[in-house]
Amino acid sequence: MGRSSGCSRRSSPEPDVTWDILLDQFATQFGLWWVILPGILLGIIVGILPGFSPQNTLIMLLPLTLAVPVEQAFAFMVALYCANHLSGGVPAILVRIPGSGGAAATVLDGYPMTQKGQGQQALVLSFVASVFGGLITTLATLALLPWLSQIGLVLRSVEMVVVLLFGLTLIAVIAAKDFLKGLIAGFFGLLIGVIGTDHIYNAPRATFGFLELYDGVPLVAALIGLFAVSEALVMIEQKLIVAVEGREQAKLSNWSETLEGLRISLQKWWHIVWTAFIGLLIGVVPGAGASIAAFVAYQQSRLWSKHPELYGTGIPEGVIAPESANNGVTSGTLVPMMALGVPGGTTSAVMMIVLQYHGMVMGPQLFTTSPGLAYGVFVSMAVAYVFMIFTILPLARYMSRIVLIETTYLVPIIILVTIVAAFSERQYLFDMGLALVFGVIGFIAHKTNYHVTAMLIGIILGPLFERYLVRALRISEGDLMVLFSSPLGNTLWGLLVLSLVLPFWRTWRQKKALAAEQFGEES
Amino acid sequence: MPSNRPAPGKAPLGADLVIPALALGFAIYFFFSIADLVWEAKANGVLIGAILVALIAVQLVRLGTRLARGEGDLRADPLWQPRDALGKRIGMVALTVAFIAALPWLGLTLSLLLAMLAALRVMGVRKISTLLWVSSGVAAAAYLLFIATLDSAFPHGPIERLLAALFA
Repeated sequence: MGRSSGCSRRSSPEPDVTWDILLDQFATQFGLWWVILPGILLGIIVGILPGFSPQNTLIMLLPLTLAVPVEQAFAFMVALYCANHLSGGVPAILVRIPGSGGAAATVLDGYPMTQKGQGQQALVLSFVASVFGGLITTLATLALLPWLSQIGLVLRSVEMVVVLLFGLTLIAVIAAKDFLKGLIAGFFGLLIGVIGTDHIYNAPRATFGFLELYDGVPLVAALIGLFAVSEALVMIEQKLIVAVEGREQAKLSNWSETLEGLRISLQKWWHIVWTAFIGLLIGVVPGAGASIAAFVAYQQSRLWSKHPELYGTGIPEGVIAPESANNGVTSGTLVPMMALGVPGGTTSAVMMIVLQYHGMVMGPQLFTTSPGLAYGVFVSMAVAYVFMIFTILPLARYMSRIVLIETTYLVPIIILVTIVAAFSERQYLFDMGLALVFGVIGFIAHKTNYHVTAMLIGIILGPLFERYLVRALRISEGDLMVLFSSPLGNTLWGLLVLSLVLPFWRTWRQKKALAAEQFGEES
Repeated sequence: MPSNRPAPGKAPLGADLVIPALALGFAIYFFFSIADLVWEAKANGVLIGAILVALIAVQLVRLGTRLARGEGDLRADPLWQPRDALGKRIGMVALTVAFIAALPWLGLTLSLLLAMLAALRVMGVRKISTLLWVSSGVAAAAYLLFIATLDSAFPHGPIERLLAALFA
């Protein structure tokens, strides 16, 4: 805190980068392909497996990254990190199991596309959105770094409360079909998210006497249970994941499906750009992450769409928005670490350990003392994304074949392997049992249309919302008016109200137009 | 003809009560668990819990009204149907419980191998060679990734100890 306050008093750091440094960095990073490619490969594998976060993997690989020169270590870590964010969408699309919290929103439209036999196309959309979203925001970060670093200081607890409310309003959006059931699921999730010790006094709340729940409900166990296990239990009823009408298309899919996915991605290029920037802006805020970014981007994408009613039925925009934002976060997360010395998330904290081990001092001075390394990190990210598109795009066709495996084999593999993966986050056997409990709850919710995604949004965003809300109230000594005390916060409140009112206004206008049309026909 | 069978047009509303019942039970427990805490520690939970209870109350009224109108009954069919999948579902959950319970004694590889064998059998795979190939493939992959490569803290059993001794 003190550190960031100190930084906030400094004037905006001026960019010390020159074209020579940047070009030199691009050449250096392309030369590190032999480090980047294994990083990408490992990142993809780890991302596909639910439960394996990049930070866990990087911690396990610390002995390796500390032993090699810092440029190589960083190129490897950045490649692994970006590939991990990209590949979390693969199981979300194919088997309705998000590889990470950031991919949970991808399930909403990705899986219905798979069920329609468009799994390959959905994967291509996800890869292109991820790569270009990540690439564009990385280049933007390179250009705007000195100014972006200030966003982390401008967006404080008050503003973050409103940003999180943007994400939470998605519960209402998802609940559109049965509003009451959706809200019950969402608030049930929010209450589950409150389990654990509070942020100020560390007093345990609703832990059922389990020490393992003092840190709150582990996200991975909840994710695996609500999506993977529950979906596998539902899947038992079908022979294949793909719906009967989509089977022929899935069986016959060839390279033309990849090209079609590319064509749609190019057509939606603006969608990729603006949702990626949502990810970048949210990523810059320390503590915020891919989950918030993906849900906010999905909610905004639906809000501004001309056909919001199609979201959730398997449309390209529903895959592009969360995946692009999810990868827009990657460069944003590194901004506070590089520019302020405040890690934006756990992964960047691990990266910071490596940099500090090699004698690098984070903060604004890094850009004057070691501009090559400071900007090199982002160049390395851009290069990793370039390599990634050529590595993963051809795999879409083969990955999508998984949906043609009979559920007789898929169900046992999904349940047992993902239960094993639930252990990975915290290495507690308790988490495996918890994942099963969430699986059964998710199955009941699934069968009775109580929206597991709404529940998961509550579990993911609830604790973050509480953290920022309590912090803001603590600063104001309990005065709720603090939430309306900043111009930026008030602007965000205005936008939030607008985003809530707009759908109703749009529906009212459509109904009015329809009524006028009918009246015209009758007369 | 006297019959216990529900009228065909009636909605099985009993299933719709399960999640609200679970949520209500949890909310009540939550309120008890935070009763003695200072307001900052419980404010958020109280607010969320109160809204949740209010939503459940509205849902109960809604379901009660439908029951009173004769639009539905208290069956929970969506949870049991289709019947042929019910045995497999219960079997998979029971197997997973057994797998987690056996893990500390048998280690990851052996317990996963046995659980996969049993789970495939429950799902209807009868061919012995397929059962063995798929199960041992999954167990071997788990060993290679979680134990050999990532050195996760999974309990070690006879297979892990044997392989460790062989490659030490």
